[in-house]
Amino acid sequence: MDKKLTWNEMKSMFPNEWLLITDFVLDQSGHLISGVVARHSVDKDEVYRLPALDKPSAFKYTGESTFPGGWRAHAEHHHV
Amino acid sequence: MPNITTFSTGAPYIYLSIFVAADNNTLHEFDAIFDTGAPRTEFSDTALQYAGFLSATKPVILKNGLQTQKYGKIILPQIQVCGHSIGNLEVFVSHFEKSWGIDALIGLDFLRQFKVEIDYSKGCITSDTLPFVTK
Repeated sequence: MDKKLTWNEMKSMFPNEWLLITDFVLDQSGHLISGVVARHSVDKDEVYRLPALDKPSAFKYTGESTFPGGWRAHAEHHHV
Repeated sequence: MPNITTFSTGAPYIYLSIFVAADNNTLHEFDAIFDTGAPRTEFSDTALQYAGFLSATKPVILKNGLQTQKYGKIILPQIQVCGHSIGNLEVFVSHFEKSWGIDALIGLDFLRQFKVEIDYSKGCITSDTLPFVTK
């Protein structure tokens, strides 16, 4: 799989998946415009598996984030 | 010269890209949320392992009601946020809930190092280095 896709095409082709993207193009704010999907899976560990690719990689999730935010996420878990 | 970084005002949070220079000098990009509730920037262990800063992730059992669990600290030689390079930044290593869809929380340590203005009506962050202050 070495076809360059736009971010909108990636979201359409790989819904609710983690993506490892190479040969990517970003806008000035760092937002992904296009790239080559080198790995994709619903399983995050599968996409982040070693060995790492020997080239710059961008990681994206095409689903909706469930990040709760606020103190609920931080207040009770400072265990370091 | 300040940097201007845009974000989507339609999203529930401010999503930004964070770049990490891996141990082989390759720059990797991860998605992050700008989280003013986080006292310090934290990274997912899986992202740090991929970038070569962790040899292995640690099995973590999340406590009830928590989505991340910090279990270490690490110094990253170089990261980039909003176009600014930050060297030797100490960050938390965390186990992230995968459904978050991100690998980092950008915390208050970023705000402490830069002058940051958030214009939500325009969907942009203006950030600039702080003037050098002598004691």
